[in-house]
Amino acid sequence: MTRPSDSFGCPSAVRIALLVIAAVIGISITAAAQTEAAPADSVIADTTAVRVAPPTSVVAEDHKYDAGGEVDLSWVPSISESLQNSPVLGYRIYRSVNGNPEILLDELLPGEAEYEDKDVVKDSVYSYRVATIATDRSEYLSITTQPLQPQVENIDFNKSYLFLIALVISGAVIYFVETAKRGKKLFVRRIAGLEAIDDAVGRATEMGRPVLFIPGINDMDDVQTLAALTILGRVAHTIADFDSKIFMPVSRSLVMTAARETIKNAYQTAGRPDAYSDDMVSYVTDEQFGYVAAVDGVMVRERPATVFLLGAFFAESLILAETGNSVGAIQIAGTARPAQLPFFIAACDFTLIGEELFAASAYLSGEPRQLGSLKGQDVGKFIAMVVILVGVLSVTLAEAYQIGLFEGIFNWLSRIFSSN
Amino acid sequence: MRQAVPLTITFLVGLLLIVAVFIPPLKDLERTFTLFFDIIAVFAFFLGGGNLLRVHFNKLRNKKPDWGYSIVTIVGFTWMLIVGLLKIGNPGNIASAVDAPGSLFYQTFHTVLVPLSSTMYSLLAFFVASASYRAFRAKNREATLLLIAAFIILLGRTPFGMMVSGWIPDSFSLLQIPNLAVWIMNSPNLAGQRAIMIGIGLGVISMSLRLILGIERSHLGGDKA
Amino acid sequence: MEHIALWLGAFLTLGILSFLYEDNPWYKLSEAIFVGVSAGYWCIVLYWDNIVGKFYNRVGEDPMLWIGMILGILMLLRLVPKIGWISRWPLSFIVGATSGFWLMNYLASNIMVQTKATILPLLSTHFGMGVDAPLAMVLSQLVVVVGTFTGLIYFFFSKEHRGAFGYGAKVGIFFIMITFGASFGYTVMSRMSLLIGRIDFLLGDWLGLIN
Repeated sequence: MTRPSDSFGCPSAVRIALLVIAAVIGISITAAAQTEAAPADSVIADTTAVRVAPPTSVVAEDHKYDAGGEVDLSWVPSISESLQNSPVLGYRIYRSVNGNPEILLDELLPGEAEYEDKDVVKDSVYSYRVATIATDRSEYLSITTQPLQPQVENIDFNKSYLFLIALVISGAVIYFVETAKRGKKLFVRRIAGLEAIDDAVGRATEMGRPVLFIPGINDMDDVQTLAALTILGRVAHTIADFDSKIFMPVSRSLVMTAARETIKNAYQTAGRPDAYSDDMVSYVTDEQFGYVAAVDGVMVRERPATVFLLGAFFAESLILAETGNSVGAIQIAGTARPAQLPFFIAACDFTLIGEELFAASAYLSGEPRQLGSLKGQDVGKFIAMVVILVGVLSVTLAEAYQIGLFEGIFNWLSRIFSSN
Repeated sequence: MRQAVPLTITFLVGLLLIVAVFIPPLKDLERTFTLFFDIIAVFAFFLGGGNLLRVHFNKLRNKKPDWGYSIVTIVGFTWMLIVGLLKIGNPGNIASAVDAPGSLFYQTFHTVLVPLSSTMYSLLAFFVASASYRAFRAKNREATLLLIAAFIILLGRTPFGMMVSGWIPDSFSLLQIPNLAVWIMNSPNLAGQRAIMIGIGLGVISMSLRLILGIERSHLGGDKA
Repeated sequence: MEHIALWLGAFLTLGILSFLYEDNPWYKLSEAIFVGVSAGYWCIVLYWDNIVGKFYNRVGEDPMLWIGMILGILMLLRLVPKIGWISRWPLSFIVGATSGFWLMNYLASNIMVQTKATILPLLSTHFGMGVDAPLAMVLSQLVVVVGTFTGLIYFFFSKEHRGAFGYGAKVGIFFIMITFGASFGYTVMSRMSLLIGRIDFLLGDWLGLIN
């Protein structure tokens, strides 16, 4: 008589033994997998462990239009977040570089679904996993993303509209510069503050008192300081012509060097190189209010007849302007910081408002090419006005009456002016 | 040569930074050039700081008016140089941060510079009063508008605003001073700010182009230098 | 030591405040201390942050920084009269870098962002409930659009402010003056609080008269 067997021809005792061996192997593999899946701070689940779902749809993508220095990670947050008293503490991002063991990259709060890894290089290959952290600090990992090598894009097409607008405005400026060079007369309206410079310097000469020039308190990396220095060149020329004195205490050493160069060249151009002295420009201190204290002292002791306050100013603008006012000086001020303009308007005789500061040097030069650039600026303003008019009409008709054409125009304009 | 090389440098560097905005591999140039600027600024400081000392030593030597105060300036400057370079009194000696708490550098900063800066800043309270007096004399329509707007905003930020205009019924709540102040900040003030900012942007573009293209040369002595 | 610091702080505070009366030796002394100590402070900060922190600690990884060092040394040639003109080169570098950097920056932030933000609907089904709410919204949006538009007209250089254009410019300057008035009014209170802080130090910390 034969013993009972399964369809594979094994006796039942052997079957049972094989099942037991398989179960033991299976449990071992599972235990080993759980240990591997929780590289840091993992707690082997026991009957009181908190179980949460891992994030899903984890995708790593090369960040577009960069030099291969960023990878964008996105995922669908764990569904456990939607539970009442959500057991999700947050997320951990793990990264492997060139197949090496994973390291912890960052920890994020619950609800996060995106991450920008900016610490990548174009020659390496990266893969990621995102783990949900439960309240008992156990982790539940997602699957690993496909290996990814960041790419270099040589041109940022996201900024194509920015490029277009830069081209249009710059093109307008250059066009009118060239047109003016060919002899076309351009009208420029009167700017009272700039017209008053000659009289202000003449006053200083008559009174035998110096002209004080303050180029703001920022360094040469501020475009307002550059504007002040270009105006300084013109003003110094006038001062040299009038045989007046200029005194220029500055807050930055670089500005001191540039200003000396500017004034020296202005005196040379005016045919008065002998009248120039390096002592006309002196460095005081980088400290904002230390500089103001020193300049105030100069104002009350030297009693300048004319004070120029041109450039980048902050809270000290009012102190300087009021002190200049108190010594009876004529003050011509200008800044591109809207918050300081009211104080200059209140305390100074003439104020260059924002754009006028940058136009001043061109205006004072009287050179056709420079005046042409002012016309180019106006083209930029005209474009802005047209865009605002068309945009407002479009969005109004689109929102009030749901007319598709105008919605399209508005969306197109929004897209163009969002490209930055 | 004396103008050609500087103009060429300005043109190339300016163009490079404009183009770098659109070419990702060049994006780091901004950061690199900023570092160059920071390094150049230190060397410029040798000239500036040297000039400061020279001016005060000259005053001292020639016994010019107020020469005594020049001694104070020189001593103050030298003190900070010594305690800062040698990190005297720093808890971790030369390895620690120069402004580590407990260091003489830190103590001098807090004992001397902080009260001086705070007090200079506080002078604004007095100067704003005198500026307000002058600004609020309303010589013309523009000044009147400035005065009215300033007054409404000022009152709106204090309890007096509601006290003065609380009687206005809710259907005209916009005319209550605190609400009117908010509306002025969010509407006409915003409009003016925008116009100024757009103008500034265009002014910067125009001036930058003039500098980069060498049309503006007054900092180099103009066309004739 | 704390006692000395307190008295020194009070001395310097009153020295600066004395300027409000007139220039005097006390103010001159405080000013001289301020200038000397602050110039020294910034000299040290620049040295440790820039030369040591940004150059010495980084030049091994980034040899490009040597260009900055060379430009800095060229700056010092200003001290040698015969070749001082070479110091224009680092200045030109800075002028070019500043111009190029800010040109694009201001285009993006000042022109494009502000223009886009001004494109507002004058009528909208999204303006909300209430009898006067829609009218108030319409007026507010209209004010912003008209104010920006006319403000830009005011800043035109190449057209005389005459006729309709002149009228627009006039409206524009009105808006600009309101902007300045709002800014002025907004800042006045914060300036007062600075003085309160100093008075608190003098009467409280120094003299102990107030808690």
